[in-house]
Amino acid sequence: MTTPLPDELPGQAAAGDPARALDDSAWHRLHPLSPLVRAGRQLASLLVLLFGISVLNEHQNNGNLVIDVVVIAIALAGGFVSWLVTRWQVADGVLRIDTGLLRRESRRIPLAQVQAVDVAQTGLARVLGLAELQLRVAGGDSARGGRLACLRRADAEELRRELLAMAAAASQGTRRARLAPAAGLVSGAEQAAVADLAPPCSLARPAGPAPVTGGRATPASLPPARVLFRISPQRLAAAIAASRTGAIAVLAAGATAAAVEISGSAHTVEPFLPVLLGVAAGLWRQFNGAYGTVIVAAPDGIQLRSGLVQTTAETIWPGRIQAVRVTEPLIWRAFGWCRLDVDVAGVRQRRENQAEGQRLRALIPVGSRAEAEQMLSELVASRPRPSRPAPQRVRWKAPLSYHFLGWGSDDRYVVASRGRVCRQTTWVPLEKVQSIRWEQGPLQRRLGLATVHLDVAGRRVSAKIEDRDSAEALEILSRLPDLARAARSGGR
Amino acid sequence: MSTPSEPAGRPRGGAADSLSSGPGRASWPTPSDPDVSWLRPSPLLLRARRIEVGIVTLPLSLVGGLAGATVSAAAGAGIAAAILVAGLVAERLLARRVASWGYAERQDDLLVRRGVLVRRLSVIPYGRMQYIDVSAGPLERSLGLATVRMHTAAAASDARIPGLERAAAAVLRDQLAALGEAHAAGL
Repeated sequence: MTTPLPDELPGQAAAGDPARALDDSAWHRLHPLSPLVRAGRQLASLLVLLFGISVLNEHQNNGNLVIDVVVIAIALAGGFVSWLVTRWQVADGVLRIDTGLLRRESRRIPLAQVQAVDVAQTGLARVLGLAELQLRVAGGDSARGGRLACLRRADAEELRRELLAMAAAASQGTRRARLAPAAGLVSGAEQAAVADLAPPCSLARPAGPAPVTGGRATPASLPPARVLFRISPQRLAAAIAASRTGAIAVLAAGATAAAVEISGSAHTVEPFLPVLLGVAAGLWRQFNGAYGTVIVAAPDGIQLRSGLVQTTAETIWPGRIQAVRVTEPLIWRAFGWCRLDVDVAGVRQRRENQAEGQRLRALIPVGSRAEAEQMLSELVASRPRPSRPAPQRVRWKAPLSYHFLGWGSDDRYVVASRGRVCRQTTWVPLEKVQSIRWEQGPLQRRLGLATVHLDVAGRRVSAKIEDRDSAEALEILSRLPDLARAARSGGR
Repeated sequence: MSTPSEPAGRPRGGAADSLSSGPGRASWPTPSDPDVSWLRPSPLLLRARRIEVGIVTLPLSLVGGLAGATVSAAAGAGIAAAILVAGLVAERLLARRVASWGYAERQDDLLVRRGVLVRRLSVIPYGRMQYIDVSAGPLERSLGLATVRMHTAAAASDARIPGLERAAAAVLRDQLAALGEAHAAGL
């Protein structure tokens, strides 16, 4: 077998134990029940369709039923065949997934490039005790990630831990291999590599010789996990009600009620039904996605679990966080609530509720300021405040957002706040900054202002230091690249 | 737009200078070292852009004129003339837009600037470049030009340099790739 990344081998050797357990080059299969789970989605949508059709025309649903059964049978058969031809293996620090009957596909995912490993469960999978393993790699192409659906729940958890440990070991090995010959001073480079890998904050792995968390090591040898955050269902419900979705729901319900009231006939509801259903689905998705969110600081990163029917478990390495954002919508501010999102490079695998894949990952769907502060202190080691307000004359240009504009920085993070109604504060680690852009529109030029963007590899977050005095923007522009470089080269 | 209370004392990026001064002399911020030497795209880029404007304007005015002529001859002539005038105005503005492009190689990063109305200046560290594209459309190819595009892991950092002579583009690409290799950093 070819080894796409030979330079991982030293890392493997250094890692020792964690690698060996899985690294037997044996081929594994997915769980035999997985076709059922995967067909479950089609099954559910078909059932809904069937229901809708039979409600609409009560007369000839017999023929439809037959067709539906046939379609479901085909889906199941297809799933079974795809299960038969799918197998996976972990060898030489590469996860390999072979699949496909007619069009064979062999996907290799170098573990050193894995950004995160998630465990997700749909409702049906939960009933059957199965789970899906999702690997995220950097890059905008979702096809480059990997997906193992489904495994036994316990196996999935175990495999997740092992893969994470191997990934940590492998990426450390790669770094070392790359840095050592170039720098010529092995110890320094090694230190930098370790420093780069270790979380930049108090989440730190047990100080000591090996930051390579022994995923395989006995759990007893690891420090106990700390619970950082636990959402309260009441507050979640209240927060969703006070959010935009909630407002839309109230509007839709009110409009429907008004229409019924005016016309005086219950049949007036019918045209509103699709809208109401859509709104209800939106509410449900938010609630289901965020319900029971628990965040735990584990040795291998921040573990995040959430979901009511469909649960997900993710591990986020603090060292891979590209940006942290705290959002305070207007109504939530009155209650002192906020949301905390993190942005990680790499896309999630597409799955049932796609909307979630396009959002940032909400670590705290809704929490008090104190909770957000505490989480921030875990994620952002030194927390600079957006203490420098925008110059007075910005009022002319941005009367609504003027009072929120501000920025601040230290030698490791930059923070910028903005927003008109919703206040957004974004922290970006300087070592993650990909490029810096200075921008000046015509109105800004008149007023002697400029905006500086800091781009990171996340999906959509870029810290935007908006509307600064030209001279200050220029100073930012000339200072930040140097600061970022210093932060990158591991000057901690 | 009314000018606010403290218009004076803006040392750079002042209000009036950029709109009234000649092309290329607009006040660009040059971070840290003032002796950054800006390199420009080939003068042929202006010609390429002019041809582009012509290619769009002439058929458009013809079609517009014919369509207007179905109503009345005067309307047709008016529409055609209006489109032509718009094309000419765009042509006048082209020179400044083309002149605004520039790039500078510094020790650790590349600067790229562009834009007249909204001015942008990007700083891209060599170590952050993931890959570099050289592309050339049919028009650019016929003039011997090419566009170099730098990609970082961030989708937002859009840095490209159009209208480089093909050999210069290849040299720049290789140079940047080598620099990127030397400065490489992980995500």
